[in-house]
Amino acid sequence: MNLNYQQFRYETAESLKMALFQIRANKTRSFLTALGVIIGIVAITMMGTAINGIDRGFEKSLAMLGYDVIYVQKSSWSTMGQWWLYRNRPDLKTEYAAQLNRIIADDPRSELSIAVPQMSTYIATAKYRDRNLEQVFSLGTTHDYLQTASGALSAGRFFTPAESAGSEMVCVVGDDIATGLFPNESALGKSIQLKSRKCRIIGTFRKQGKFLGLFSFDNQIIMPLGAFERIYGKNMFITIRVKIKEQSRVEPAKEELLGLMRRIRRIPAGKEADFSINEQKAFKSQLDPIKNGIAVAGIFITGMSLFVGAIGIMNITFVSVKERTREIGLRKALGARRQTILLQFLIESVMICLIGGFVGLVTSLSLTFAIEKIMPDFPVEFSLNLVMASLAVSVLTGIVSGLAPAVTASKLDPADSLRYE
Amino acid sequence: MQSLCKFYEMGDQVVKALDSIDLDFGLNDYAAIMGPSGSGKSTLMNIIGCLDTPTSGIYELNGQQVAEMDDDELARIRNREIGFVFQTFNLLPRLNCLRNVELPLIYAGVSPEEREARAREALQRVGLGDRITHKPAELSGGQIQRVAIARALINKPSIILADEPTGNLDTATSHEIMKIFGELSEAGNTIILITHEEDIARYTRRIIRLRDGKIESDKPQ
Repeated sequence: MNLNYQQFRYETAESLKMALFQIRANKTRSFLTALGVIIGIVAITMMGTAINGIDRGFEKSLAMLGYDVIYVQKSSWSTMGQWWLYRNRPDLKTEYAAQLNRIIADDPRSELSIAVPQMSTYIATAKYRDRNLEQVFSLGTTHDYLQTASGALSAGRFFTPAESAGSEMVCVVGDDIATGLFPNESALGKSIQLKSRKCRIIGTFRKQGKFLGLFSFDNQIIMPLGAFERIYGKNMFITIRVKIKEQSRVEPAKEELLGLMRRIRRIPAGKEADFSINEQKAFKSQLDPIKNGIAVAGIFITGMSLFVGAIGIMNITFVSVKERTREIGLRKALGARRQTILLQFLIESVMICLIGGFVGLVTSLSLTFAIEKIMPDFPVEFSLNLVMASLAVSVLTGIVSGLAPAVTASKLDPADSLRYE
Repeated sequence: MQSLCKFYEMGDQVVKALDSIDLDFGLNDYAAIMGPSGSGKSTLMNIIGCLDTPTSGIYELNGQQVAEMDDDELARIRNREIGFVFQTFNLLPRLNCLRNVELPLIYAGVSPEEREARAREALQRVGLGDRITHKPAELSGGQIQRVAIARALINKPSIILADEPTGNLDTATSHEIMKIFGELSEAGNTIILITHEEDIARYTRRIIRLRDGKIESDKPQ
């Protein structure tokens, strides 16, 4: 047993040495062979990097919504686009927030922390002198809004409880609006025109970026509810933003909120709720299939390139076996067993693939780096998992493509191969 | 060591390459197998060298039945019991003398330190102690064959089997090589030569002549 192990160790060491020798002796051939793997690995890692990047961009967007905020709305996010499902539901009322807050305050065991009302419209227009911004997201809320939203102020302040209660015509604007309307001056203290009313800017938000590339938090104008109603009227889209106490207890919090809302809206037991409780997870469940689709298609296509590479390696290894028939015969005559020969050729193809894998990884790492430098917004992310996976794939490719030629080599008849010219 | 009967078939039809051969080699035998081409010399050598198994018959080597062995057992026997010397030398061109000589020891599971020590010793024995780091391309034909002999010796085999060892060498070098075989025989090794040159066979103590797969004569000299 011990001797067998020693023999195996020495034989493997010899095979490793011979493989290195062989690769160095045939540099051009080895490089061309490895090229198949290099291209395959670059394709796979770039694909993985892109998928990781999408994931990261997505997480960032979800973080903007807040992991600890749930939203009571007329329609559900998880069936977005099917508006007819919710058309006949009665509108929500901003008063619900106050009602909810009273109930929460009376119940120390509540999972909920605070409810904030919000009225909003996507089709607002903001004007300052001759400058004009269309498609602004305008929303009315209370001074508690900041507790349920991400984003910090870059200048000025948020409106006070007094301003909120007094429906003062003041607003806090996103970065795009501040820089769009006031490119060369401070926005603070200026009055912008919304519809027929004027509204004074008392604060600006720091730049936050886009949510899923669709909706920008930098494009918002936030004002007291009363001010909003005066400008846009009462029939706007209403959301109750509810902050929960414990980020990890979203489900019980949702349950509790569902019960409270049914109570407030007096929905009898057994009847379906005519409102929806949304959280950022709903986006995830919508976007995950898309992401997975991209991943499957990508892996299939890149897998093809690796497959072609594997065939190339198999081909070269067959040629190498043929070329070295005499060497195989000699080694067998000197006492090499079948498995020794098998291992020698297998190690050779695995080593070529592993070198190819390394080169591929370095290539895609530098590509990723370059992309990050040139386009900082483009979502790319390299991960250790990706490195491990592509090295494993390289080894697997080596084994798969080297096995058939190696078996052929190991089965050669020693007497015939010694005579082979 | 005892070899009783070998019978061999090949080709589409039954070709009797070796037809009921009875042979017996003793310890420290120094024999030459001779015969014209097609007489079955190579087949006999392959079987003696365990590169091939007989179709029927019994081949017993040091009390081990070779005819029934599988590939791996044959590989072990070749590694431990047989030392090959070929007409075309068959050194690996990329390896230096030392590594070439070491090769059988790798398959025997010998440690690197011991391998190197034994390879040096074997090379010294064939008079190449000062050439150990040379590659085959840097050596003359006679020197290459001596490296091959060192490789054959290294695992202390029961038989040294030389297939036309002087076939690719000039006369002077051939005699030099035969002198080495003579010394090895005197040192107690069992040597079997395959040759068709009479003056080479004359170095041995026993000449076996084959014709059409049968033994024509088997005489000591």
